[in-house]
Amino acid sequence: MSLFKQDLNRAVTISSYPCRRAMRLSPKLAANLLALSCWLVLTCLAVAQDLPPGKRLPSVTMSPPRTITVTRGKPGTVDLHFRIDGGFHINSNTPTTEFLIPTTLKLTAPTDIVVGKVIYPPGEQMSFPFAPDEKLSVYTGVLVLGVLVRPLVTVVPGKYAFHGQLKYQACDKAACYPPRQLPVDFLINVAKGSAARKRNPGQSPHVHR
Amino acid sequence: MKRDPVIIIVVALVVSAMLAVGVYKSRRSPDQTKTSGAGMKGQSAPDFALQALDGKTVHLSDFRGKAVLLNFWATWCQPCKIEMPWFADLQNHYASEGLQVVGIAMDDASPQEIGKFAKDLGVNYVVLIGKEEVGDSYGGVPFLPTTFYIGRDGTVVDKVFGLKGRGEIESAIKKALSQGQAVQAQK
Repeated sequence: MSLFKQDLNRAVTISSYPCRRAMRLSPKLAANLLALSCWLVLTCLAVAQDLPPGKRLPSVTMSPPRTITVTRGKPGTVDLHFRIDGGFHINSNTPTTEFLIPTTLKLTAPTDIVVGKVIYPPGEQMSFPFAPDEKLSVYTGVLVLGVLVRPLVTVVPGKYAFHGQLKYQACDKAACYPPRQLPVDFLINVAKGSAARKRNPGQSPHVHR
Repeated sequence: MKRDPVIIIVVALVVSAMLAVGVYKSRRSPDQTKTSGAGMKGQSAPDFALQALDGKTVHLSDFRGKAVLLNFWATWCQPCKIEMPWFADLQNHYASEGLQVVGIAMDDASPQEIGKFAKDLGVNYVVLIGKEEVGDSYGGVPFLPTTFYIGRDGTVVDKVFGLKGRGEIESAIKKALSQGQAVQAQK
């Protein structure tokens, strides 16, 4: 029997505070109240998701990125996680028509760290009530972008900050919102790495092999 | 770990209450802020001067005596693409009764691109290059499409957010055409 059932099977008594001594719920009442509470939460969430257009503004947020360590002279990939609010979609990096605004990430890198290409996932092919016969390439929910970075061998080991902006244009099922830009900031840790093997080491009578 | 049902219930009720208040506020606030439709209803539609695709300056007051369907749109707005052919069709149908559809492109695209986009959709009505201040004078246009129905007397009959069905659009047009008809007749 689970702990939770054990809790329900005993009469619910909270005796640590004198004012709560009178609070005694039968297991059946507690179960009913619990079910009612869950239903209330789920109903409110469903209603919040289904607000008519324009009643909620779209929101794309970035999860705090994990600082990755990249060995200098070697490439590494930073994964950036974004969350698109429920009920909204944004165009993918390769939208289906020329007039749609693609999602793009623009970054400025510290000196001596090369930013390679940004890896965009393929968009979901979705149709919407406003155009049921047309498939659009969009992102919904969680979006993960990969950024390739490569510190030059001359970079001093340490933490380096990257700054940029995610440009996106969001729509819901009946309206579209002007393009917006989300600030993007993350750090990478550049490590010295293992000493490189020299092909032609300095000749010295003191070098022992 | 012991879980106390009373605490779970209280937490669930508090979360429900917070969500309910949030939903209630978000449903109410657009009607009371600058994104309001109700706020403009019955008011005189602000005049503007905007450039048409052919370079001519067009004022709203140029259409005095006509019912005007004023549609804010953009080339990047997919739902806008759905209603534009309907507007073209309705413009044909109700032109003789005094309807003028005016599209305002809230776009960064060039007039040539906007013109091409509109032509591809069969647009036969006036298309103007929008300015932020014109949107602001209409209470703000934070999303597209947004459509105002203006009666013959120049008052805003209705403001509609987002894509609506063709039937709803046609009903609003009829309402705008009937608004101020008495004034016209007296003249």
